[in-house]
Amino acid sequence: MTSIRTCMGDGHRVELSLDELRRDLLAGSEDAARRAKIPPLDDTEIEWLADIFAYPGRIAGVQPGNEVVLTKDGCANTLYGSQVSSGVGVPLAREQGIRVFERALGFDTMEVGHPDYSFKPAKPLIALEQLTMEQAQLDCVIPLFYGAMPNMGLYFRPDGPFANPADLLPDGRIEEARTTQLEAAARLRDDMLYVAHGIADVGADGIDFDTTASAGDAEFLATLEAVGELAATTDLAIEVGMATELVLGFHGELSYAGTRLAGLWPHQQVAVVEAAGAHIFGPAVTTNTSRSSPWNVARACTFVKACSLAATIPVHANVGMGVGGVPTAEVQPSNVVTRAGVALVEIGRADGL
Amino acid sequence: MTDDLFTQAARSIVEQDREAAEAIATEALAAGIPPAQIMSQGFVAGIAQVGELFESGELFLPELMMSAQAMEGAMAITNAALGEGGGHKKGVIVIGTVQGDVHDIGKAIVIAYLKANSYEVYDLGRDCSLATFLAKAEEHQADIIGMSALLTTTMEEQKKLIAHLKEAGTRDKYKVIVGGAPATQRWADAIGADAYAEDASDGVKKIDALLGH
Repeated sequence: MTSIRTCMGDGHRVELSLDELRRDLLAGSEDAARRAKIPPLDDTEIEWLADIFAYPGRIAGVQPGNEVVLTKDGCANTLYGSQVSSGVGVPLAREQGIRVFERALGFDTMEVGHPDYSFKPAKPLIALEQLTMEQAQLDCVIPLFYGAMPNMGLYFRPDGPFANPADLLPDGRIEEARTTQLEAAARLRDDMLYVAHGIADVGADGIDFDTTASAGDAEFLATLEAVGELAATTDLAIEVGMATELVLGFHGELSYAGTRLAGLWPHQQVAVVEAAGAHIFGPAVTTNTSRSSPWNVARACTFVKACSLAATIPVHANVGMGVGGVPTAEVQPSNVVTRAGVALVEIGRADGL
Repeated sequence: MTDDLFTQAARSIVEQDREAAEAIATEALAAGIPPAQIMSQGFVAGIAQVGELFESGELFLPELMMSAQAMEGAMAITNAALGEGGGHKKGVIVIGTVQGDVHDIGKAIVIAYLKANSYEVYDLGRDCSLATFLAKAEEHQADIIGMSALLTTTMEEQKKLIAHLKEAGTRDKYKVIVGGAPATQRWADAIGADAYAEDASDGVKKIDALLGH
């Protein structure tokens, strides 16, 4: 009996039979289809995924002609970050790391970003960020984005000045929770615009809003409003990468361009991101650590395919620890990571990763 | 007429209408329907629908909380009918995000679900030390200690609490349920937790099972 080596969503190694593999692929796709009311993967796509996972080689790659563009998040923290921060602990400065990604790792684009990778901590250091971006622009050929997370959670107590809705909501203080989210969103939007304009002033090619809507629909609204302003006033290429597949309705009653933001799935998220004026959209699908990687990858492909079909701008699916079907583990298994990438491109129809 | 009341009861929860829930509970009691039946076939059915709508992204956290408030309103009336000692609270839970971890969105959702499902919940907040978990569990005479961790680095705190309970000889005093993105059933089994909750809905089911509901 064929035994297929793969992993669970937490990185634990397992072996599946071909029947078990197909069962998990079908179940993962069905889960996405049921939740988001989108078509599941068809039989051909399931068999294609089965072939990708059943292939015995350690590393999988796309077929010639299916190569895609890579955009990067997190700057060079994969190198200089510690293992517990998804890095490998190589003590390179950002300036060096960016060039490693361009010249040794062959990335199509790269990113400058602060090690504390959010807009709020980057704001007071804007002069340093500008210096790094300006120097990197002189050193590098590839397009350079500036990346940061909106991360509205940093604006709530204890990290910020605003009351925390996660404390107010369980107490039933709903209107207060909604008010504080709007207040924090306004401050976040202003901070994002401040940083973005500063970066645009020194010649950045683009900006990446990473893990958008991690704090729910109010954070999503702040980001969309910032994107709209930047699209109208700068030449920045704007990428919006999401935090997860469903926009959490922490407020519940916020809209953008006539669309309620709470409860949007990737194929719906891309529409409002396009309406705001962004140029690249990055859907994110969270890995379920209790399910197998085939289950997770099939689920991710189902969401991403629907998104790609709905999009008029390039879709760069998020693939990394805990997203895009990749296990939530500090050391990533290359067999699953590469298969997730192949699947999202060839079945999910992503334009990039 | 009874079926119609049960339908109305469920609808009042789905529509987050506390006044309607209280009115229907009062009317049902006046009609002679046993309080436990009103809850199980009416209001609890409504909470189940709310859970499904929340999981499909058609209903959101503030609405979940308002449904829980409507449920509390109904429960206050049915509890009064049951008299002293007949309260409908299913158990006491202390829940917090573990030390070193400040993620709390998932925990907020779990708390909303638990309250909506008639549990008495004490939110310990985020970055909770073992001492906090233990002290609050003792203070509130908790049945369940719930520990949430969103990082692979902080989930070790779940293991430490259980180890501490064993060393202190008090392991059987509380049921421990663990959750959070990096947690799995395998992890829960390895550290000796009583249950693992994949999500808020699963958490309620597992706690119901632990406490024999």
